[in-house]
Amino acid sequence: MKELFAPNAQPSRPVFATMVGAQLLVLVLLWAFYPLQLFPSLGDVLRALSDLVTSQGLIQELWASMTTALQALTIGTALALAISYLTALPFFRPIAYAATKMRYLTLTGLTFFMALLLSTGHQVKLSVLVFATTVYLVTGMTSVILTTTREEMDHARTLGLGEWRSFWEVVVLGKLDLMLEVVRQNFAIIWTMITLVETLYQSEGGIGLLLYKQNRYLHLDGVLAIQLVILATGAAQDYVFGLLRRVFFPHAALTAAS
Amino acid sequence: MTPYFHKEPVLTLEGVSMSYQGEVVLRDISAQVLNVVRPNMTQGQVVGFYGRSGIGKSVLCRIIAGLTAPATGTVRVGEEQHPVQPGDVGLVQQRYPLFNHRTLADNLLLAAARKHEPEAAKREVAAYLERFRLDQHGKKFPAQLSGGQRQRAAIAQQLLCSDHLILLDEPFSGLDVAMIDEVKKIILEVTTMDELNTVVIVSHDIATTTALSDTLWLMGYERDTAGQLLPGATISKNHQYDLAGMGLAWHPNVEAEPEFNRFVEQLKDEIRAA
Repeated sequence: MKELFAPNAQPSRPVFATMVGAQLLVLVLLWAFYPLQLFPSLGDVLRALSDLVTSQGLIQELWASMTTALQALTIGTALALAISYLTALPFFRPIAYAATKMRYLTLTGLTFFMALLLSTGHQVKLSVLVFATTVYLVTGMTSVILTTTREEMDHARTLGLGEWRSFWEVVVLGKLDLMLEVVRQNFAIIWTMITLVETLYQSEGGIGLLLYKQNRYLHLDGVLAIQLVILATGAAQDYVFGLLRRVFFPHAALTAAS
Repeated sequence: MTPYFHKEPVLTLEGVSMSYQGEVVLRDISAQVLNVVRPNMTQGQVVGFYGRSGIGKSVLCRIIAGLTAPATGTVRVGEEQHPVQPGDVGLVQQRYPLFNHRTLADNLLLAAARKHEPEAAKREVAAYLERFRLDQHGKKFPAQLSGGQRQRAAIAQQLLCSDHLILLDEPFSGLDVAMIDEVKKIILEVTTMDELNTVVIVSHDIATTTALSDTLWLMGYERDTAGQLLPGATISKNHQYDLAGMGLAWHPNVEAEPEFNRFVEQLKDEIRAA
């Protein structure tokens, strides 16, 4: 027990798992037996969740949002990788720099311009998400590229690899696992944006619209149920990304452990 | 004294100078490494290269490895003495970098592919893994190797693709006595692999470096006739020692010999005086 409160201690796996289980249990028990005045009880939330699934198509709406999110993530990742890797060429560096600064643009203003440029609601929704995803991803990916040291590049050069081949080996292949980590971290941002975008373009539904309706009618139990569903989906996504990293980049865990 | 004679040059530095932002770092360095031939023996040469911290050893290493062009002068390597290009000279950096995303065998294969067809490259890699006692570790990633294994792997990788000339940057730094002996063995192993193999040891450890070398270069500052320090470090002719000619090379336990210790003390005095 002592080690749980010792700085930098490494408790054994069973001890740590027991601790996490106990913390969760305390949280659930607190929620179940001591509901706050404004906070819906566990029972209310579970009932709302059941109602959302059976009568309001929560699963379908979640699927609709998730497919849109994955679509945006795929396109955004491809664009961000291209922009980031092109920073090897000085000509493209200002573009990448500008892309990172575009994180500060507001989605509402952006949606207005996209609506003027594009014809369907889906296109607007997707383009806004792609834009936002890309600028966040470029920020993370260029940071990863900037961690490349002269020692790493010199090592490749001394092996007779040309400049592009050295870049491919050191920056592209050598840091692909870190790029996947950047994608994993930024996937969460899509979920925060998609709920906003779906309320602006309601024709295709989505979990964001469902959340908006629950908010609007002050169904706090429903709001919390949807938030918990999004939280669980995010946790599952994180797990899948972690799994992909372990399968495709087994060296990554070794480097982290060492 | 062991009979030996010098043949063709394997490395030539001609009037190499380097400046950064107007500050002269290296000044007019001219030096040459010749192929040392010992009758009935296949053995390359070891050049020790000593210089104090911050003097510009790493800059000169990068210039010799073809990674940085000197402000003036040239570096020529190989039997044809062509101007150095990246990849001609192996450089084993202090932290023994390897590609962490590739297995050890893949790391070596990438280097071997530069000179050999795929099948021949695989055979070369297998031979090097065995020679460097790494054959049990071919499928491991660099993060799974010990410090010594990693160092051997980095040397093997550079040898697989360089043209006989390899620079070791601080190979004894932070190692215990047993590990230093291990590195010495590797260096001797490398030099016996090919008559032209030349190992340049860049080190702070003057005794160990001198004990292993046939030639020693001492990098330092010079003074003009008025006694003023000249800007930029150099390797003057007075500080290029033919240790073989002095009878201080190729002895198994040279560090125990009084002449060797006297010479090392003399070098230390020169370094302190500079």
